[in-house]
Amino acid sequence: MAGSAHATNHREQQPAVPAPRALSPRAQWLRDYYFRGVDREWNNEFSCWTTGTDWDVVYDETTYYIVPETYAFFQPFRSSTLQAARRVDLPDDFWQRGLAERRAWLIREIMVNRLPREILPGDLIAGARFNLLASRCWNREEARRRDAEVNGPRGTRAAIKDFHEHGYGNTGATSGHLLPDYPRVIEHGWGAIHRDLEQRYDALDHAAKNGQPGSQLRAMMTAALMPGELAGKYAGCCRDEARDEADPARRAELENMARNLERVPWLPARNFWEAVQSLWLTHMLVMSDENYPGPGLSFGRVDQYLYPCWRRSIENGMDREFGKEILRCFWVHANTAYDAMIKIGGNQGITSGFGQLITLSGIGAEGVDTTNDLTYAILEVIDEMSPILEPKPSVRLHRGSPNRLLDTVVDMISRSHGSPFLLNFDERSMAGMMREAAEAGYQHLVNEDNVHEYAPVGCLENTMVGNDRSGTVDSNLNLLKAVELALTGGEDLAPAMDAVTGESREISRDGPRTGDAGKFDRWEDFWAAYSRQNEFIVQRCVDLYERTESLRARFSPTPYLSCLVGGCAETATDVTRGGAEINLTTLEGVTFATTVDSLCAIKYLVYDRGLCSMEELTAALRDNWDGHETLQAWARWRAPKYGRDQQEADAMACAVMDLWTDETWKHSTVSTGRRFRPGMLSWNYWVDGGYVMAASADGRPRGRFLSNAICPSNGADTSGPTANVNSVGQALGGRGSDGDWQDYRNSLPNGASHTMSFSPSLLRDAEHREKFKGFLRGYCENGGTALQVNVIDTDTLRDAQLNPGEYRHLLVRVTGYNAYFTSIGRELQDEVIAREAHS
Amino acid sequence: MLNLQRMSTEDGPGIRTTVFLKGCSLECTWCHNPESVESATCVAWHESRCSGCIPRENTTGSNGDARPALTPCQDACLKGALTATGGTIHIDHALCSAGNGCNAACTDACPWAALELLGQRRSAADVFDEVVRDLAWYGCSGGGVTVSGGEPSLRPAFTSELLRLCRERGIHTAIDTCGQCTWQALERSTRHADLVLYDLKEIDSARHADFTGRSNHEILRNVLALAQRFREQQRRDSLWIRTPLVPGLTANEENLRGLGEFIAGKLGDVVTRWELLAFNNMAGDKYRRLGNRWELEGVETMAAGELENLQQVAHSCGLDGDKIVVTGPVKVPCDPGGKQTGARTPRPPAAR
Repeated sequence: MAGSAHATNHREQQPAVPAPRALSPRAQWLRDYYFRGVDREWNNEFSCWTTGTDWDVVYDETTYYIVPETYAFFQPFRSSTLQAARRVDLPDDFWQRGLAERRAWLIREIMVNRLPREILPGDLIAGARFNLLASRCWNREEARRRDAEVNGPRGTRAAIKDFHEHGYGNTGATSGHLLPDYPRVIEHGWGAIHRDLEQRYDALDHAAKNGQPGSQLRAMMTAALMPGELAGKYAGCCRDEARDEADPARRAELENMARNLERVPWLPARNFWEAVQSLWLTHMLVMSDENYPGPGLSFGRVDQYLYPCWRRSIENGMDREFGKEILRCFWVHANTAYDAMIKIGGNQGITSGFGQLITLSGIGAEGVDTTNDLTYAILEVIDEMSPILEPKPSVRLHRGSPNRLLDTVVDMISRSHGSPFLLNFDERSMAGMMREAAEAGYQHLVNEDNVHEYAPVGCLENTMVGNDRSGTVDSNLNLLKAVELALTGGEDLAPAMDAVTGESREISRDGPRTGDAGKFDRWEDFWAAYSRQNEFIVQRCVDLYERTESLRARFSPTPYLSCLVGGCAETATDVTRGGAEINLTTLEGVTFATTVDSLCAIKYLVYDRGLCSMEELTAALRDNWDGHETLQAWARWRAPKYGRDQQEADAMACAVMDLWTDETWKHSTVSTGRRFRPGMLSWNYWVDGGYVMAASADGRPRGRFLSNAICPSNGADTSGPTANVNSVGQALGGRGSDGDWQDYRNSLPNGASHTMSFSPSLLRDAEHREKFKGFLRGYCENGGTALQVNVIDTDTLRDAQLNPGEYRHLLVRVTGYNAYFTSIGRELQDEVIAREAHS
Repeated sequence: MLNLQRMSTEDGPGIRTTVFLKGCSLECTWCHNPESVESATCVAWHESRCSGCIPRENTTGSNGDARPALTPCQDACLKGALTATGGTIHIDHALCSAGNGCNAACTDACPWAALELLGQRRSAADVFDEVVRDLAWYGCSGGGVTVSGGEPSLRPAFTSELLRLCRERGIHTAIDTCGQCTWQALERSTRHADLVLYDLKEIDSARHADFTGRSNHEILRNVLALAQRFREQQRRDSLWIRTPLVPGLTANEENLRGLGEFIAGKLGDVVTRWELLAFNNMAGDKYRRLGNRWELEGVETMAAGELENLQQVAHSCGLDGDKIVVTGPVKVPCDPGGKQTGARTPRPPAAR
C-alpha cells in the first residue's frame, strides 16, 4: 500500500504534465498501448481460481486491513471473487499435503499451465500476466478455524473497523514491502536456489522431513521450479512468434529472447538483457505468490546489482541505447501491476497505492559513492518515460554525491513541476539502521561494514536487502489519540461514527483512567497522563496486530517469496511465520506534528499563559471549536509550533519522539517473534484521519487534515525551509558525539516521510538551481531520511489565496526577494500567479 | 532590527539569511520596503490575518449600548491609538508609542497575530545565535549572512559586530547598502563584509535628489573610496552593483548609459556583478498596511522588449557582459482564460 502517496498525489495534481520526449517508436508504442487500458486486447486483471470446495476462500481480507477505504467491501469481494473463480483440478493427494505445499502447487499450476501468455509487438521482456486471486487452499477445518477468528462481532474484521472508527489508526499483517534477494537470482539463478533447498531437505532427519520443516522445504522446492518452467513456456511463445515474423530484425530479437528465456532465471544471467529478464520474471511471480500486486514490493539498488551485467554487455558491444530500450520495456511491464483492478478501480486501476520502488546511487563500501553509468542511463529512461508511475524511483544522496548526479536530479525536478522521485538521505538513514541493529540485537546482520547496502521499499521505508521483512506499513497508529485520551481520562472526546452508515457510536471508555485533567495543577501531571495513554495506544495496536499476524502465520504461507528471503530456507520457516533473518515489524507513527503542536498548545493555553482552564479547552474541542473562535485562534496562531527551528516546540517534538519510539521497541509479536520498530510514513492516513479524529488542541477542527508523517503541520513552518528541515533533523535526534552512524542520530530506522513545496522560480536559472543543489547538500547535513520536493503550481497558489491560513509557509520569489505568498497583497499574489502560469 | 529572513536566495551568493534593519538614509519613491524606512518602531496591521472579531463578537454592549465592545487589541492599547470600524483596524501612528516606552501589548493581545511590531532592539550576539542555526546551509551552498535594510550603515556598530561574529565562524558576510552615509560609517559597516551589494540608482544628481531626497554625491564618492580600498587589498570579488529599473524614473537609456560608463570606467576592475532589478508593482499593499499610499500605485511592470533594450544599453558600456545580470518581472501577454476568478481551474485527467 505504500506507493509514494505524496509524490503521486502531487503528480496527479499537476495540470501541465510534461509529455514524454524522445522515446523510441517501440517504447512509444508500448507506452501508448499500456495507457489504452481496458481497450487493450489483453490485460493483467486479477484472475480468480478455486479448489472447488464448498468452503473455499479466494480473497484474503487481512492483507487490506491497513486500507480503511476497503473495509466496507470485504464481504462483497469475498463472495464475488469466489463466484468468478475457475476451478483447478487437483492431484489426488492434494489434501494430504501441508498448506504451504498446497499453495505452492496451486500457484505453480496456474502460472505455468493455466494463464495465457503473450509477447507484445516490439517488447524485449517476457512476463505478462501475473495478477492472481487464488484459493487459499484451506481444508475444511482450516477454513472453519480461520473464519471463526475473522468473522463475527469479536472477529478481526469487526475489531479493525472499531480501531479505525475510534481514531486509533489501522493495523494488519500486509503483503509486499520488502526487498527480495533478486541479486542472488541474477547472479546464481533459481537452479542454485533449488539445489540449496534440496540439500537442506536431504539433511533433515526423518521426523523433520515428515513434519513442518519438511513440508515447508518441499513447498519452497515446488515454488523454486516455477520461474524456470514459466520461462520455458515464454521461450516457446517467442519461438512461435519468430517463426511467423516477417521482419528479420524483429525475428532476431524474438529468437534472442527465446534463448534468454531458455537460460534465465534458472541459470545465472550473463548479460544485461538476460539480467533484466531474470529480474522481471522473478519479481512478477512474487506478486502472483502473494496475490498482491505492486504495493511495496521493491527492487532495491538496481543500478548496483545490474551493473556488472550492464558493463559486460557494453564491453561486448551492446549499444547503450539498446540497453535503455530493454529498460523502457521493463518500465512498461512494471506498470501492468495496476491492471489488477483495471475495470472496477477508478482511472483504469491506476492509483497511488502502488510502489515498486527502485533505488539509485548512494554510499558504497568504505564511504565511496556508487553512481555509475547505469545510474545515469536509468535516470535518462525515467526522464524519457515520464510521466509514468512505476517503478517508483528513489535516488540516494549523501555528502559525497557527485555534482553531476545532483545536476541531473535538480534539472529533472525543475522541469517536472515537482520531484519525479523520492530523495533518500544516506547518513541519517544508515544511522536509523544502526540504531535498529543495536536495539534489536542484529549487529551481526547490520553493521558498519554493510549498512550502506540498505534500500527503501514502498514509499521510503528503509530495510536491508534479501533477508529483511520489517512489515513497513503493517501498523499505523495515530499518536494524537493519546493526547485525546489524556484530556478525557481515557474516553473518546467525540462519538465515533460508522464510516458506512454514518451512525454515531456511543462514547467508549477504553483507555486507562488517568484522572480528571481539570485537576492537574502542573503541566508535568498532564504529561504523565499522556505518557500513560501513549503506552495504552501502543499496546492496543500491538495486540490487534498480533491477531492478524498470527492468522497470516497459520493460514497464508508464501513459499515462493520465502525462497527469496534469507533465513527462511535455513530454518525451514515461511517468511509469514517469521523466517526472515531480520524479522521486525514497523509501527508507523501518524499525526506527529499535530500531536506535538497539541501538547504545546495545552501547555501554552492552560499552564503557561492561563488563557483558559482545561475544562474550557476540552469543552471547545467537544464543540469542534464552534463558539470558541478566540481560543482556537490562540491555539492556532499564537501557541508554539513544531517546524520553526525554535527551541520550545522542537524540544516537545523530541520528547514525544523519545516517548513513543521507546514504547514501540518494548514490544514483539508473540506468534512470530517480530520486534516492533518505529517509523513515520503516514501514507495518506493523515487525510482520512482528519475526518475521523475529534478536534485537536492545536486549533484544528475535525475535518481538517492531520499532519503528514514527520512534516510540520500545514502552514506551521513560518521560518522557512531551512528551519523546517532543521526541526525535522532535530526531532530525529540531530547530531552529536553519541551518534548511531558517525555523528548522526536517528530514532526512526524505518525513516520518515518529509514533503516540501517550492516555487518554480526558486529553480528558474542555473544560478538558482545551483542554490537548490546547496539546499539538498544542506539537507544531507541537517535533515531527515527522505524528502519529496514539490514545485508548487498555480492551482495551489490560487488555493492559497482562498485559504491563506493553510499556506502561511509558502515561499514565493517576488523579485529581488522571496516572500511568504500569503503575507503579500492580493494584487501581488495575482501577479505572482500570472507570472508562474507563464514561466 | 526589522526582521530576519532565512533561506534568502536573492541577496548574494548561495543560501543566505538576510537581516533587515530599520531606518534608511534615503526616501526612494519606489521603495519596496516602506516598513524599513523609518527607524522608529511601529505597529502594522495584517488585514488577511485579522479575524474581524469586531463584527463577530458582541457588537453592542450588554445594556443595549450601541457602542461596540473593545477588541482585544484596543483593550490592550494604553494610548487609544487603535480604532476598529467596519472590520478594519486603523492605527493612529501619531498616538501610537510603540518602541517609545510602550511594549506593544496590542500585538501580544491579538489571538490571530494580526498586529505586528515592526522593529526590535536586538544585540548582535543575539541575532548571531539565530543566523548560526543555518551554518550547514551556508557551507553547502556557498551562502552566508547579508545585512540589509533600511540602511545598515546607519547602524555601523551593530552591523560590524554581527559580521565579525559571522566571519569568526567562517560564514560568508555581505551588506546591502545604498551608500548614503559618511565614509567612516561605510568603512566601519563594511569592515567585516566579504561582499558589498552597493546600490547605484541614478547617475544624474538632480534626478537622484528628486527620486530619493538626496543627491548622489556622497554615494558616488563612497563607492569610489570603497573600490580604492578593495584595490589596495587586492580584492576583486567583493563588490556587486545593483540598479533598480523603475519605469518613468530610473529605467531609461541615458541613466543606464551613465551608470554603465561610470561602473565600467571607475569600478570595472573590482566589480564582479551589475544587477539590473526590473521594477515590480507589488508594494502598494505594504504601504496600505502602514496606513500610507504608494506613489507608484498602478505603475505597470516593464515590457520584455523595454527591458531587453535597457540590457543592451548596459552591455554597450564596456563592462564585461558576463557581469551583467537582469532579474525581476516583465509584463507578459495575459491569457484571458487565466483571469483571477477565485475559482480553481478544472484539471485535465490524471497523468498520462
